[in-house]
Amino acid sequence: MINLKNLVVASLAVGVLTSSAMAIGFTKKSELGGFDGFVERMGGGVRELGRGNTGSADTATMPAAYWNPALLGFRENLGYTLNVEKRDLDRLGGALGIEGKVGKRMGVGFAVLYRGDRDFKIIDEDDQTVSTSKPFFSMFYLGFAYRATRQDAFGLSFSMSYDNLDIADSKYFEGIEVEDSFRSPVTVNLSWFRQWNAKWSSSVVIRNLSFSKNLSARWTKNPSKDNSLYSTEGVRPKILQIGLGYRSKILGKPVYAWMEALDYQVADTLLAFDPQLHVWTGRVGFECEVVPNATFRVGMDDLNWMLGAGYKFEIRVGRRKFPIEVNYAFLYETSAGLWSPFSLGLRGYIP
Amino acid sequence: MKKSVTLKSLAFSASLLAGMTLCGNAYAGDVLFGNIVYAVGPAGQNGALWAFSRDGSYSGVTLLNFNVSSKGSVVTDSTGQSPVESDTMTAARYEILEESLAERRRIPAVYAGSKLGLLLPMYAMDKNDRYSKPAGFYSILDLKNVNEHPIDVPSIATDLDTLKNNPIMYGISGFAYDSTAKRLWVARGALGLMVHDISGKNGAKDTTFVLNSKTGLLEKIKDKSSLDLNLYPEIFDVSIHPESGNLWLATSKGVWSWSSSKFEKASDTLKNSRVTGIWMGGSPLQIITETSYKNKDKIEGGLWRRYDKAKEFSKVNFLDTAGKVQKKDVYDEADYTVSDVAFIGKTAYVLVRTVGGSISGYLKLDSLGARAWELDEDGKLQWLYGYETGATDRKAIITSMCSFPLSKNRMGLAIATLGNGVSVSADSGATWSVVLNRAKLNNNLGSIRMVPSVIIAPGDESLVSYKVGRESKITIEVFSYDMRKVRTIVKDAVRNADAVRSTNPKEDYWDGRDDHGKDCTMGVYYIRVKDNHGHIGWGKAMTLGGNFR
Repeated sequence: MINLKNLVVASLAVGVLTSSAMAIGFTKKSELGGFDGFVERMGGGVRELGRGNTGSADTATMPAAYWNPALLGFRENLGYTLNVEKRDLDRLGGALGIEGKVGKRMGVGFAVLYRGDRDFKIIDEDDQTVSTSKPFFSMFYLGFAYRATRQDAFGLSFSMSYDNLDIADSKYFEGIEVEDSFRSPVTVNLSWFRQWNAKWSSSVVIRNLSFSKNLSARWTKNPSKDNSLYSTEGVRPKILQIGLGYRSKILGKPVYAWMEALDYQVADTLLAFDPQLHVWTGRVGFECEVVPNATFRVGMDDLNWMLGAGYKFEIRVGRRKFPIEVNYAFLYETSAGLWSPFSLGLRGYIP
Repeated sequence: MKKSVTLKSLAFSASLLAGMTLCGNAYAGDVLFGNIVYAVGPAGQNGALWAFSRDGSYSGVTLLNFNVSSKGSVVTDSTGQSPVESDTMTAARYEILEESLAERRRIPAVYAGSKLGLLLPMYAMDKNDRYSKPAGFYSILDLKNVNEHPIDVPSIATDLDTLKNNPIMYGISGFAYDSTAKRLWVARGALGLMVHDISGKNGAKDTTFVLNSKTGLLEKIKDKSSLDLNLYPEIFDVSIHPESGNLWLATSKGVWSWSSSKFEKASDTLKNSRVTGIWMGGSPLQIITETSYKNKDKIEGGLWRRYDKAKEFSKVNFLDTAGKVQKKDVYDEADYTVSDVAFIGKTAYVLVRTVGGSISGYLKLDSLGARAWELDEDGKLQWLYGYETGATDRKAIITSMCSFPLSKNRMGLAIATLGNGVSVSADSGATWSVVLNRAKLNNNLGSIRMVPSVIIAPGDESLVSYKVGRESKITIEVFSYDMRKVRTIVKDAVRNADAVRSTNPKEDYWDGRDDHGKDCTMGVYYIRVKDNHGHIGWGKAMTLGGNFR
């Protein structure tokens, strides 16, 4: 029987967050797309992508070191995840993670998020294509968690970006000692997860705190070794990410609703209260286990639509069972009008 | 008064618009050796023009031949290219844009008859692989004869630390060819004046002199004392008087001219000035000089002229749009220096550029002086012609300018730009045709090319290059990697069908900034071009970032 009360609550929450998702461009000061940090904005994990890039309030989310390091406190086995996304315009991305339990209450995990362009043509002032580069952008996470109670866990992760524009060897820059790889300083992410009851869970993640002034993740990049090019500055906005999870059943099928609200502070200050210096976005996702072990997903990240599916199975090796899940996601990037049908992920546990 | 100014501006703008409509893209394809053109110069025949390009360590020349259509616009007839012989040599020296001293900021390009052709200075690489060592000059006769002419440096010059550590002090900054005596005069800065004599039967002979400012005589360099710059002033430019045939010198101690048996100071007004350039031409004759010196970190300069029968130089007047002489001129606004001067009839075209190249353009000098062509909305007089007046279709640094015979009865004007090729005018600068390399594009947004596709510095521009088959309303937007829109460049802008490129270079470019004028961070961005007929094309650009503000 459908629990009407739960349905109303879930619908209201979805409505609120969807309208939050629509309210992009709140700021008139800067466009979020012009800031560093698109790798983490795009998420990691095809399972989570299929449901609107939601994952911070779900203990099963991987890689937890990225999504919410507090989730590592709930690991019982060694988990792994491997994901590949091929998006339109030669964009190739992916994520991998490995994580496990340490002691009775702690967990540790490592994650790498990757995005790149496989075919960037360097065109010179003569309108000649002088070379093709394959720039890539990556983020590394090392997360730790401590489960304080059966319901609460706290997490900490250290993250760092490594980008390579792959332009140093291009004839276009002949005569200039180009530096095209850049590593950010280590930034800190803090998180909390709480499983309120069998149905509700919540999460709070604060991203991109640094050890510099204003705790800002800001650094200088010098694209030439001989200082012949302008140096530039990178800033990854501080993010407050609040997640909510709801579990129920509809027609006897397990149904899950996930919601996240994100606040990006697009300013190099400790805290900015001016709404002009914030960009708010939202994510929402649903999933339903339509047949045992087969899950259908739908979601929305900002204005982008996603569909996803997953199937769980086990591989037996001797007496040991290895649970594996294969996930697929379809993505439509609404603003750009691009759809990407090729996202595949694999995840599992080694008991 | 204001109304008349406005009407005049309107009329001028209308003529500009008409000019821009006429301003055709004269040629498509691989026309030039490179779009980064440092110098243009006459090639000695009607309609023929040399362009010198350098891109990194690749230097070369292009010979352009033009015709004038029945409508009066310039049509590119044919072109040919040739690299320079050695890639360790070039005519465009290192830091020519950043250099502050006027005589080091220009590339003299002089046509010296059929035996020497176009002359350009030549610089060799130093130990840091920078083109900074004066090495002689190029003598470009035709595409098969781009000749290098090395010049010896006297050993005493290399013994002196001042010159040894700063060889640009004897870089070539001026040529003058005496066709009667068959002598080429070369200004060599601290090393004085060289004569390249081709009158003899046993080949050319080079002799270098310094000017004794006490006696007015040229003396051969003998020992270190010959490099005493108080007694022997630096010679920055040289010119042959078109009427008397006498040699004139622009020096660090005034202007000198040859008078029967010795050099004498040709101007009391400029007798103690650091005169960095001298140009003669036009009808009636104009002699234009530039004074320029470094005052602490600032460049102080002035433009001077001796017009027609005048006996003395006077400062060039800067007039407002109504012809009223202004107290301040462009030299009071910024650190301009002269790059070139071209003459057509009564008008002198003086090309100037600021240190760094952020502003460049040319002044038009009539009999009264330089007249402003517009009073802008901020109440500022606009004297410089260039991008705003349609001489270039993109904001590119103008580096060189010359006049050349387009046909028997018509003189043409040409300008060289860094990145936007060459612009040529058949009507004294009223309308221009742009000649530059362009890649072939597929129709109906089938291919979008960002030119160049890497934005190196904040404010640099990447042109969105596309083609449509019929008149279309074009929308161009920039997206980040995660497909967040960061910029709308144009929305529903009308663009015409074109055989080569439908892009409007004045609007269809991205400068690496978002809709709020903020520099976008280092990374790859995606540029979507849509028309109103359902076509969509994508281009890519990379920016090396800017400053967080």
